[in-house]
Amino acid sequence: MEKITNFFKTFLLVELLKGMALTGRHFFARKITVQFPEEKTPQGFRFRGLHAQRRYANGEERCIGCKLCEAVCPALAIHIETEERADGTRRTTRYDIDLVKCIFCGLCEESCPVDAIVETRILEYHGEKRSDLYYTKPMLLAVGEKHEAQIAKDRASDAKYR
Amino acid sequence: MINIEIDGKHINVENGCSVIEAAHRLGIDIPHFCYHKKLSIAANCRMCLVQIEKAPKPLPACATPAAEGMKVFTASEQAVKAQKGVMEFLLINHPLDCPICDQGGECELQDLAVGYGGSASRYNEKKRVVLQKDIGPLVAAEEMSRCINCTRCVRFGIEIGGATELGQAFRGEHAEIMAFMSETVDSELSGNMIDLCPVGALTSKPFRYSARTWELSRRKSISPHDSLGSNLAVQVKNNRVMRVLPLENEEINECWLSDKDRFSYEGLNSAERLTKPMIKQGGKWLEVEWQVALEYVANGLRQITQEAGAEYIGALATPNSTLEELYLLQKLTRGLGSHNVDFRLRQSDFSADSKQSGAPWLGMAVADINHVDRFLLVGSFLRKDHPLMASRVRQATKDGAQVNLVHAADDDLLMPIANKEIVLPTEMSTVLAQVLKALATAKQATLDISVQQIVQSVTPSATAQAMADSLASGEHVAVLLGNFAQQHPQASQLQLLAQHIAALCGGKFGFFGEAANSVGGYLAQAVPFSGAEVQGMNASAMLDEQRKAYILLNVEAELDMQNPQQALAAMGAADMVVAMSAYKHHAIKYADVYLPITPFTETSGTFVSSEGRAQSFKGTVQPLGEARPAWKVLRVLGNMLDIPGFDYNNSEAVRDEMLVGTDLPAKLSNILHGVSAQAASGDVAGLQRVSDVPIYSSDAIVRRATSLQKTRDAVTPCALMHSVELQKLNLQSGETVKLTQGNGSARLSITADNSLPHGVVRVAAGHVVTAELGAMFGSIMVERA
Repeated sequence: MEKITNFFKTFLLVELLKGMALTGRHFFARKITVQFPEEKTPQGFRFRGLHAQRRYANGEERCIGCKLCEAVCPALAIHIETEERADGTRRTTRYDIDLVKCIFCGLCEESCPVDAIVETRILEYHGEKRSDLYYTKPMLLAVGEKHEAQIAKDRASDAKYR
Repeated sequence: MINIEIDGKHINVENGCSVIEAAHRLGIDIPHFCYHKKLSIAANCRMCLVQIEKAPKPLPACATPAAEGMKVFTASEQAVKAQKGVMEFLLINHPLDCPICDQGGECELQDLAVGYGGSASRYNEKKRVVLQKDIGPLVAAEEMSRCINCTRCVRFGIEIGGATELGQAFRGEHAEIMAFMSETVDSELSGNMIDLCPVGALTSKPFRYSARTWELSRRKSISPHDSLGSNLAVQVKNNRVMRVLPLENEEINECWLSDKDRFSYEGLNSAERLTKPMIKQGGKWLEVEWQVALEYVANGLRQITQEAGAEYIGALATPNSTLEELYLLQKLTRGLGSHNVDFRLRQSDFSADSKQSGAPWLGMAVADINHVDRFLLVGSFLRKDHPLMASRVRQATKDGAQVNLVHAADDDLLMPIANKEIVLPTEMSTVLAQVLKALATAKQATLDISVQQIVQSVTPSATAQAMADSLASGEHVAVLLGNFAQQHPQASQLQLLAQHIAALCGGKFGFFGEAANSVGGYLAQAVPFSGAEVQGMNASAMLDEQRKAYILLNVEAELDMQNPQQALAAMGAADMVVAMSAYKHHAIKYADVYLPITPFTETSGTFVSSEGRAQSFKGTVQPLGEARPAWKVLRVLGNMLDIPGFDYNNSEAVRDEMLVGTDLPAKLSNILHGVSAQAASGDVAGLQRVSDVPIYSSDAIVRRATSLQKTRDAVTPCALMHSVELQKLNLQSGETVKLTQGNGSARLSITADNSLPHGVVRVAAGHVVTAELGAMFGSIMVERA
């Protein structure tokens, strides 16, 4: 019986019509493709993109050189050197993140006791050479300064879940 | 013995053993802060509360002695609840600043808070604030709010260090640790408080903020300074020594370390380090390749051997050099045909050279010092020369030992002294003869012919009699000679008399030893005699009769020698001076070749401590720049000079050539043969000089340790005199005076010190300000500057 039904179906092109119907549905449906870079997908406030070093409102850098991020980093991407500043506090003389090594796990910002190292929403950074992706302290501070408003807003949104 | 059960495990312990000790023996860890095995029990942190059967409340394990049949539960519900409660109280006032705290990562409070602390604080009131204090250049007390008042540091000062440097003032919440009379905490042992502090209240100032503890790798080494041979844990980061901690060795340094051993690492990274070989050409120093420098040295030595004779070559090394370096230096010198080699640079009496029956040593194990009940200390600045051995003597006095002291200066040893005789250096042998006579009378013993004559010529003073009585009443007697006695112009007389005093009491007799390899130098034969035969010139004779070439190993002629004036003159007159040194120093004026060698952290080697313990160590970091281990340099020089037997692959091969198959204990002996005691000759006219080598001037590395140089012990030395002598010269205390010895003079301020005997001036040796002066003993002129 089934054989006979299939025999007639081959002449009536039912499968073709079904397939075309699907195509037709999608042809007229609302498009979900995002036209990057003109358009962007929405991001959560916990998005883990490019790193930044933050400053306090008075301009003082937050980082106290405790090296917890260096210790916790599973990819060994962070390198820190510290010294005692004239005012008796410990400050970094070097704070490097090798973005080629970084796996964006977010443990560095998780471990930071002063919210100094953070991961921002920035994802479209690039480099022409590998060395361009070796971020030093001034570069990280510059990112922080540029996006401080957004960073602070994101931290505030996350605070109630901590 | 008492049977006690802890967490279901049984153990037999001796009477008086505390529960915490019994638990540690069973391998059960009870959390604690104020308890420390070497200190008295305070029981003020309450962290070690445990449940004990039939006790209604939890009891502190450290202050509860074990009792027969006692059942202890360290992790029961009641115990853990009590411990968590205590931890909550401790954390109430402890700041949450672990990320900036230097103790972070090795903090006992941090570790225990993980197990016993709550995840959030229930305390919303204001925290206690204790202001920071400046307690000197070694110990940082910047964050005293972190203190949990365990009083370990206070108890250390009272019980081990001998001086109460820190104390606890005020009560209850206002209790705080502070330095007494706002003085600094920089005695010779104060660095141990940093290790003792369970939190970050007392931290190391030189190490402050330079690294985090988890970044450091830990390597074993041996102290190159005093003759104790302390075991070190050298902590390294990026091929740089970041700090030094004690490595526990109950038989040597226990769990302590003197400040000299702990902080001297700063000298290793000094800017004065020499990193390239240098040659002086036409009055100018040129940096050259190793090959060029070594060829220059080899040619120079060969030329002097051919033209003047090998006996015109002299080799001098400091006793801080390793066994391998000393051995190769003497092998090289002897290979050239000269026997002029010596490491006893500050010694002045060499008359016993051929009469020694072995290498002078401590005469007993270091750990046995604790069990001695009668000491006779002769000529020793014990606290400053041997800080940890002094601490052991201090422990012995706590158990009732009596200390008798014969010396030319009366420094506070921070321990009770039963009898002391502070006399002129020239009278020290007379005092010993008096003690010997009184002792012989008391024991009704006949004395050896060698000392009979001097003993007959003296009458024991009351103090000498008291010393003899004290020594005669002891069961374990030790007669110990310090650095001062060894450097003394009548050292062999003192040695002989001490030998007979010890023999009469049936006690031990020995030398504290000046530096890390004071015994090793003899074993390495870096001395101009072999057995009973004197073959060459000793350190003093080499300067008396100037040589044409000198090889200096680690030596700074104006600081390390008995007579700096003479040393500089001899170096200036020599045709060639080869300075093998880790540092650029004054030799820049008199040397012809500078060979950069490495300090102890950058080479492998062996030190033989004063108790005759050979301890080998490996290098902890790579040599700085082009500096090379001295044994390698000497090996290559030996090869270049075609001296046979210089084919070593490693320093172990050098050591094995010396030590394998030799019975080391049999080579140690303090007994003199064929020396007879002579009456002391009072031939010193006018004032006599008494010299100590300040603790932080004793060797090249500590002299460059910047933090140690800021301590009270390193202030520019002033001359000291009895006030009666000052009046005779019509001088005021505090005035600047001109001290003259021979052709040289020094300007120092003078201070009255009435503990000194009349007729002496105490002037430090081994310091730049006195480098123009002459011998460490002998007459000296004082006049208004």
